[in-house]
Amino acid sequence: MVLEATMICIDNSEWMRNGDYAPSRFQAQADAINLICGAKTQSNPENTVGILTMAGKGVRVLVTPTSDLGKILACMHGLEIGGEMNLAAGIQVAQLALKHRQNKKQQQRIIVFAGSPVKHDKKSLEMIGRKLKKNSVALDIVNFGEDDEGKTEKLEAFLAAVNNNDTSHIVHVAAGPNALSDVLISTPIFTGDGEGGSGFAAAAAAAAAGGVSGFEFGVDPNLDPELALALRVSMEEERARQEAAAKKAAEEAAKQEKGGEQQSSSQDATMTEQTSAATSEADKRNDLTDVENALLQQALAMSMDDPSSSHELRDTDMSDAAADDPELALALQLSVQDSTKDSSQENATKLLADQSFVSSILSSLPGVDPNDPSVKELLASMQDQSESQQKQDEDKTSKEEEK
Amino acid sequence: MACLHDHNCEDHDCSSSWSLYKHIDLSKVSALNEAVSGSVKSVFRAWEQRLDSSGEHLASNEGDPELLVYVPFTTDVKIKSISVVGGADGTSPSKMRVFINRDGIDFSDAQSMQPVQEWDLVENLHGVLEYQTRYSKFQSVASITLHFPESFGGDTTQIHYIGFKGEATQLKRDVVATIVYELTPNPSDHKTRAESGGGLSHVE
Repeated sequence: MVLEATMICIDNSEWMRNGDYAPSRFQAQADAINLICGAKTQSNPENTVGILTMAGKGVRVLVTPTSDLGKILACMHGLEIGGEMNLAAGIQVAQLALKHRQNKKQQQRIIVFAGSPVKHDKKSLEMIGRKLKKNSVALDIVNFGEDDEGKTEKLEAFLAAVNNNDTSHIVHVAAGPNALSDVLISTPIFTGDGEGGSGFAAAAAAAAAGGVSGFEFGVDPNLDPELALALRVSMEEERARQEAAAKKAAEEAAKQEKGGEQQSSSQDATMTEQTSAATSEADKRNDLTDVENALLQQALAMSMDDPSSSHELRDTDMSDAAADDPELALALQLSVQDSTKDSSQENATKLLADQSFVSSILSSLPGVDPNDPSVKELLASMQDQSESQQKQDEDKTSKEEEK
Repeated sequence: MACLHDHNCEDHDCSSSWSLYKHIDLSKVSALNEAVSGSVKSVFRAWEQRLDSSGEHLASNEGDPELLVYVPFTTDVKIKSISVVGGADGTSPSKMRVFINRDGIDFSDAQSMQPVQEWDLVENLHGVLEYQTRYSKFQSVASITLHFPESFGGDTTQIHYIGFKGEATQLKRDVVATIVYELTPNPSDHKTRAESGGGLSHVE
């Protein structure tokens, strides 16, 4: 949000006809300039931008520093290519234009697009640079297009002479598939000096970086912020649910160990099946698997090492989670039931058989009174489940219907 | 136009009269061609601390002894005299030219404009010299710009202290208190006296 007056020096020399930057060097330059003007005026409403051309018949100021974006964009039309760029004169005229800016509180900045060869020698450029530094004018150089002998060196020396506290920058853009404006967006020319980027620059960067499909969730946050936000929030919730489910699976494993030594072998199998069930759900979402796996491994290690302590943890953890979110608890139960259908039936039943655990969940559910006779019946029926395998399925389905 | 103190400077008299530094708007003080951006603010201190060279001081860029210091005040002040403590080894400024109530002066302006007053300075390492002003021209100073074009042969110019002696008038020069930006004017806000029924003239 620095208050700044900027003069942009356009190179409209014959070298700009070249097509190595799509569609032509001049067009690429014009696009970049449009973006810069937008970014500057957006970052601070009192910023002003002016444009001048360096080649053609001579240095010509197209528009003096103004905050009117329309005027700036309009003057970019009908620009003609021709002649040779006069860098020194261009910069001096830019300095003069900035000197006579209306608001003396604005910082002065010049942005130069150097596409054609630089015919001035290093010494004179350095002298100009020192003068700019003395009058505290910052300079940004965009080195693109022609790369003849010594141009880069000259421009680097120029920048070194001007640079005061890293307020000036130079960017070298090579010809290639990336558009000039895309490359510039990520540079300090756009993002300002360490401000972290204005919203405009960030949005433009997002647009450039991914195209249509690159957006997270496939929605442009700029076009539809509420939708993007809603998608992000639901993703977070899903992730939290996944983690809770994984935790629960790990806790079940601990419970399994505590339950019976003879089941240890089957328990391992169930653990891995649980793991795979949990992770298969995770796989449906993108790139959560690694996090899930890590969490599960951690939980496994915890349960293997110290089953006694993890038992105490289990109830509090689950009831905390359940207390926070009754829907979560419901969903957990359902998911557990689903997963156990694939694998051994014992886990869910063992869990459900634990009266205290179930009643704690139920008590936290809204509208469910543990003392309700129907609920008590339900609990009793769930206990019977653990005795016979066949009743299980019926009861589960009946329970689901009741719910 | 310099005068030497011939009394003991530990008197309260001295330090209180150099108290204009309290009326300097430090946040808006700026300098051109300073080596370290923002170091200019460190030269405005109390009189007792004028020789305290341990902290920051103002230095110009290497190889270029020219300095331009812009000092706005919070109220209008009357400046009686100015004291400048420079650096050693020829890095003291040798000339001083001041401009009053103009902001946004840069080096080309400073070199071409006629200053309100200019002095030839001497090396004043102990801060006992003060340079008197033509008081009539320094009656309502809202901001002062000091231009030091050259030093005593040093590569840079260093300034450790700048002091102003005078009095503050408690007046503020054309401060715009509130600015209202109107996208489209509301005629009812701009009724003239004639439209609002005319004011009755009172004859007392």
